[in-house]
Amino acid sequence: MKYMIMTFGSAEAGLAAMGREWMLEMVQFMLKLDKDLRGSGELVDEHGLADGSQAKTVRFQNGIPVPTDGPFAESKESLVGYWIVDVENEERAIEIASRIVAFVKNPIEVRRVMDAPPDF
Amino acid sequence: MQSPIEDLLRELAPQVLGALVRRSGQFNDSEDAVQEALVAAARQWPREGTPDNPRSWLLTVASRRLTDQLRSETARRRREETVAVLELPVQGDASAQDDTLTLLFLCCHPSLSPPSQLALTLRAVGGLTTAEIARAFLVPEATMAQRISRAKERIRSAGATFAMPPASERHERLRVVLHVLYLVFNEGYTTSSGSELNRADLTTEAIRLARMLHQLVPEEGEVAGLLALMLLTDARRAARSTADGWIVPLDEQRRELWNSDQIHEGVALLTQTLGKVPVGPYQLQAAIAAIHDEAPTAGDTDWPQILALYEVLERVTPSPVVTLNRAVAIAMVNGPLAGLAVLGTLDGDERMAHNHRLEAVRAHLLERAGELAAARDSYRKAARMTASIPEQRYLALKAANLA
Repeated sequence: MKYMIMTFGSAEAGLAAMGREWMLEMVQFMLKLDKDLRGSGELVDEHGLADGSQAKTVRFQNGIPVPTDGPFAESKESLVGYWIVDVENEERAIEIASRIVAFVKNPIEVRRVMDAPPDF
Repeated sequence: MQSPIEDLLRELAPQVLGALVRRSGQFNDSEDAVQEALVAAARQWPREGTPDNPRSWLLTVASRRLTDQLRSETARRRREETVAVLELPVQGDASAQDDTLTLLFLCCHPSLSPPSQLALTLRAVGGLTTAEIARAFLVPEATMAQRISRAKERIRSAGATFAMPPASERHERLRVVLHVLYLVFNEGYTTSSGSELNRADLTTEAIRLARMLHQLVPEEGEVAGLLALMLLTDARRAARSTADGWIVPLDEQRRELWNSDQIHEGVALLTQTLGKVPVGPYQLQAAIAAIHDEAPTAGDTDWPQILALYEVLERVTPSPVVTLNRAVAIAMVNGPLAGLAVLGTLDGDERMAHNHRLEAVRAHLLERAGELAAARDSYRKAARMTASIPEQRYLALKAANLA
């Protein structure tokens, strides 16, 4: 089954709070995670997203689509990046997410990708 | 890295396609047929040995595929005539070189968008498979197949013919071809997004195609200039990032890792070209790259000379990116405050509003000027703006160093 594992945050807060050592460790952590998920044959896709401050949201206003600056969510946190993994079961997806949470300390959303065959 | 068979196939691909288009008058179907012949050869030759005349083997197989294709498509336009034309004898080898050039012009047709020009050039002239091109651009194969097929359709509907552009258009059309090769190189050298800093396969392919083009039109100074620029830039590839993917800036690179063969070749090309033909932007950028490459240490870099070249470049092709580079050179010659003053002229420029490099350069100059708090803010701002993960990490680390 496929799961999308999503991290949220903002570069602004991250850049202000994180020191040099943490940054170096973070890069090592991400490289290791990437290597492990590739090695186990579970990684389908992964991408980091450009910062939310660069985002545009297109809304339907007064009958027409109107683009505005900024991400959709009202909070400062927005989607930072995601992994799509093809794993045995939900427990394994949660295990991967837990490993990331233990490091980044921010909440992570785990969502099933709808790819189940129809029931009949 | 690549087998001799693959090298041979890529070299022959445009020649075979050119010959087939000449005989059939059909670009789209011929291109598919040649691609199939290349795939068949890549499968058979390693097992059964390379045929005595590889070019005619490919041409025979591709012709057969094309005939089959046209026969199977009933009610296809001018079907009978086309099949008849196919039986005409092959034109002599003398035209193979011209055909390759004609193909390049066709694939870089002005009616196509740059992503389509890139994809079609890599497939029809470069002999890469759709799967390889898709991998290089990090998109699904089906997407790339569709992009290529739409590009071919568009060329057809634009009424393009398989012929050299008239002399009056040649200069402009060549400029487009060079831009496409430059984009292929850049796509490989600094991936515009994603986590890998360089995709060497694309830079290697861009250099191969530029070298081929230079052999076809040795008298064109800008072709030599672009090839030199690619060689002199790619020469630093091994030194520009660490094994962990961290960017190493030019002044901190281990110069013993630079590729001296490529540097020699690039400098020799420039020496043959500069002063003999009208100077153009690729030659100027190559000359700047050569000055960096020939300095034994970063401290030995001849910045006044680089500044002079940027001033000429800005007159030849004015753009905010050139101004940005000139600001760096001015800072190296006259100090960071002089550089910052030049950056100030770019602040209101809409074209730079979403370009992180302006902020990154500002951060660097502020740091050199001792304005550490302002430098840190600029590094952070640049880190938020870039779409490249290695660059974001580099800029964030620079900010953290000043915290």
